[in-house]
Amino acid sequence: MRKVRLALALTLGAALSGCVETRQYADVQFTPPQGDYKLLVLRPDVTVGSITTGGMVEPRADWTDQARAGIVAALRAQQAERGGHVQIIEHRNELAGVTPDELADVERLNAAVDESIVIHKYLGDYLPTKRGRGLDWTVGDGAIQLGRKTGYDYALFLHAEDQVASTGRVVLGVLGAAGCIVGFCAPNIGGATQLDYASLVDLKTGEVVWFNVVRAGSQVPGIKFGDLRTPQGAAQMVERLLGRMKPGLAIRRAQAAH
Amino acid sequence: MRMTRSARLALLSAALPLAACSSLGGGEYGIGDYNLVRVHRVEVGDGGMTVVAPRPWNERRRSILFDDVRDVEDWTLNGPILDGISFVSGMKSGRYLIRQRKSADQQVPKFRADMTPPEIVAMLESLYRVLGGAVEFRTLNLQPRPFLGAANGFQLDYEHLDSDELWRKGRVVGAVIGDRLYLVMFDAARSHYYNAALPDFEAIVGSAQIRR
Amino acid sequence: MCARCLELSRRSLLVGGGIGVAALATGTAQARIRPADMVPLIGPGFRPTDKDEQGLWKEMERAEEEIAGSNLLIQDPELTGYLKNIIGTVGGPAARDFRIYLAHIPDFNAMMFPSGFAVVFTGLLLRMRNEAQLAGVIAHESGHFLRRHQIRSWRDQRRKSDIFAIGAMMAGVGGAGAGVYLGDYVQLAQLGTLLSLFQYSREMEAEADAMGARLIADAGYAPVEMANIWEQLIGEEEASARYRRKRRRRGGLFDTHPSEGSRMVDLRADAAEVTVPGRAYNACRERYLTTIGSIRPMLLDDQVKLNDPGASQYLIETLARDGWNGLLRFYEGEVWRLRNRHGDDLRAAQSYAAAVVYPDAPADAFRWHGISLMKEGRGPEAKAAFARYLTMKPDAPDAAWVRQMMG
Repeated sequence: MRKVRLALALTLGAALSGCVETRQYADVQFTPPQGDYKLLVLRPDVTVGSITTGGMVEPRADWTDQARAGIVAALRAQQAERGGHVQIIEHRNELAGVTPDELADVERLNAAVDESIVIHKYLGDYLPTKRGRGLDWTVGDGAIQLGRKTGYDYALFLHAEDQVASTGRVVLGVLGAAGCIVGFCAPNIGGATQLDYASLVDLKTGEVVWFNVVRAGSQVPGIKFGDLRTPQGAAQMVERLLGRMKPGLAIRRAQAAH
Repeated sequence: MRMTRSARLALLSAALPLAACSSLGGGEYGIGDYNLVRVHRVEVGDGGMTVVAPRPWNERRRSILFDDVRDVEDWTLNGPILDGISFVSGMKSGRYLIRQRKSADQQVPKFRADMTPPEIVAMLESLYRVLGGAVEFRTLNLQPRPFLGAANGFQLDYEHLDSDELWRKGRVVGAVIGDRLYLVMFDAARSHYYNAALPDFEAIVGSAQIRR
Repeated sequence: MCARCLELSRRSLLVGGGIGVAALATGTAQARIRPADMVPLIGPGFRPTDKDEQGLWKEMERAEEEIAGSNLLIQDPELTGYLKNIIGTVGGPAARDFRIYLAHIPDFNAMMFPSGFAVVFTGLLLRMRNEAQLAGVIAHESGHFLRRHQIRSWRDQRRKSDIFAIGAMMAGVGGAGAGVYLGDYVQLAQLGTLLSLFQYSREMEAEADAMGARLIADAGYAPVEMANIWEQLIGEEEASARYRRKRRRRGGLFDTHPSEGSRMVDLRADAAEVTVPGRAYNACRERYLTTIGSIRPMLLDDQVKLNDPGASQYLIETLARDGWNGLLRFYEGEVWRLRNRHGDDLRAAQSYAAAVVYPDAPADAFRWHGISLMKEGRGPEAKAAFARYLTMKPDAPDAAWVRQMMG
């Protein structure tokens, strides 16, 4: 899964103290998958590194492995609870019935769609024609073909990232946040920061039916929450991201009416 | 100097309230870059041309701050990464489609009134290669097509591979009338988005009228 | 206008490392590094044992997977096989371990990643005059790996960035000080961001040059060709800058003087040193020209359409030292046509007229020749040129328009 670089890098610098923000958008007709459904998780993108004082991210293979294993386990457990069959694809050549190129094409368009959603829904570059329409983006026929060839109902594109501060980072934290206002952002400064997002595509229609960004940030290292390296942290991230899927607007209204 | 998207978005984020833990995005009625284009006749660019959209579109706001060319206007349905229609409303000979530094190593050529359609195509191809990050560009079709009452109009179909690994496809209908360039340009992701908005493009082209 | 065009700049995608960027100039000029001192620091089948290096390799594995699956790569087996043979010859102890990819990007660059895979841009293939020069670039990049420059530079920067972080943040300087994510590599064109993490010191560049000279001389390539690369690049940049009426600018916040000139001088000395008297050395020009020949039209097309007339003209004239032909005269015409200064339409017309006389003139030359003739009012000749164009390219995409012009 691709990362949405530029757009998200800007959001992370904004000042937050010890809060978790999560914002999800759903298609107006969206009902969270329940019961006997088949979910494809495509190339979950997990990275864990250590932030040095200078702000460099030093990747840690062992931490990344731990976090990835934790997220995969949490995903399976979470989806099993809802009922449903999950397959997690780590490499493009692992999906039977679909060539790596075909999968790559879907991923590329999905990356462009996800980037557009972040920019035009989350970052304030609103498109007036999309007002009040929930999530109004599609990955199109490529996704529908993927569904037909593999028999899966949904595809989940998932990105999880966690940086853990080394010592000495606190001093620079405040400067970084201030810097962001004038256009230079120093992301992930000041403490453990977690950025996760997920997009769920309905493979019968090709539409992005649900999108969620979770941003957890702390200015003070030592307050660690959602540390992806631990099973609890991984489960917590997955729960925050996927566990609280809300139905779309039209469904909620219908439910409220009853 | 052209303002990059990141700089523009930084200005936007500065304008939004910075309360601790403010929600990501302030709802859908905040400051954005786009105006609504309603379904009735509108002027585009600097007014040299008018069109009617078959359904609402989004028009990118322009201002001197963002260094735009007056004769050029951009619309989108799903965001410029996925699709867009651009209008050139009677640009004079000797002008450029975009602002660029005179000292830039690589430059988009200027428009000249004696350009034939293949030369206009070449100018657009350079635009995509120099500024749009296209590593491949293929002309699929170039044919005569009357436009705005001019018999010497043309239609161009093309596709290009950009450095974000996405293939995009496009169609341009244009003409040089009275030494000025009039274009309607449609560009979108080749997968799904091009076909989805092509009927809109054709309707818009069909509705286009020149204003002198 | 091309709504994304306002958001992107091709140049901005490629800032960073690789051979195409001048090295950081930190401190005073160095004494030349002797090729004889350049011994590889790793052996065949090397794998890292330090934790930080293992982390780096793991990230690089993911980067390689993305790059290998990118549709920006050229997969022609003849070309990729050619590159593999070269790195297999000059890669030193790691020759069997290296991977090498060819990306369709019209810039002069090649880069080696910390886990032993290299990426070469097609812009490099346009500019190398023979196989020895190409081998020299590849050997130079291999040298960075064999001398463990990437992990050293990574550790250096980690140390330095701890010292400079506050200053960097106040100044708003990007790169390592701004917490660049390693995750930013998933698209080939973002290599620049990734490579900005592995900027080499001048000493490291000198080591790679010296090691490269040694590696190619050992393989029988003429080592002086490495020096010639820089002479050619300087010439191109001067031509480009001269046209735009500015001085050749070497980018980078930390450059104190252009490095190509001094590298050229040092490489000439290196070449002399590694040359074994009585041994035969080759530039392997014929094989290079033949192998690259199949994509040369594409390489010229990519370069000329960027509309950098000074650089393009320099490159075409350099290729024309072997003799002009239809392809080169045609692209010469394209350079003038796109430059479009006063009088350029006449210059272009002359080049097209010259091009169509040659047996290898591309079909497009006839179309542009026809358009030039049409503008000069020479109708019947234009019609003949268009007819020839359509004969050569019956399914030309603009056939409909051309037929209309023929009347």
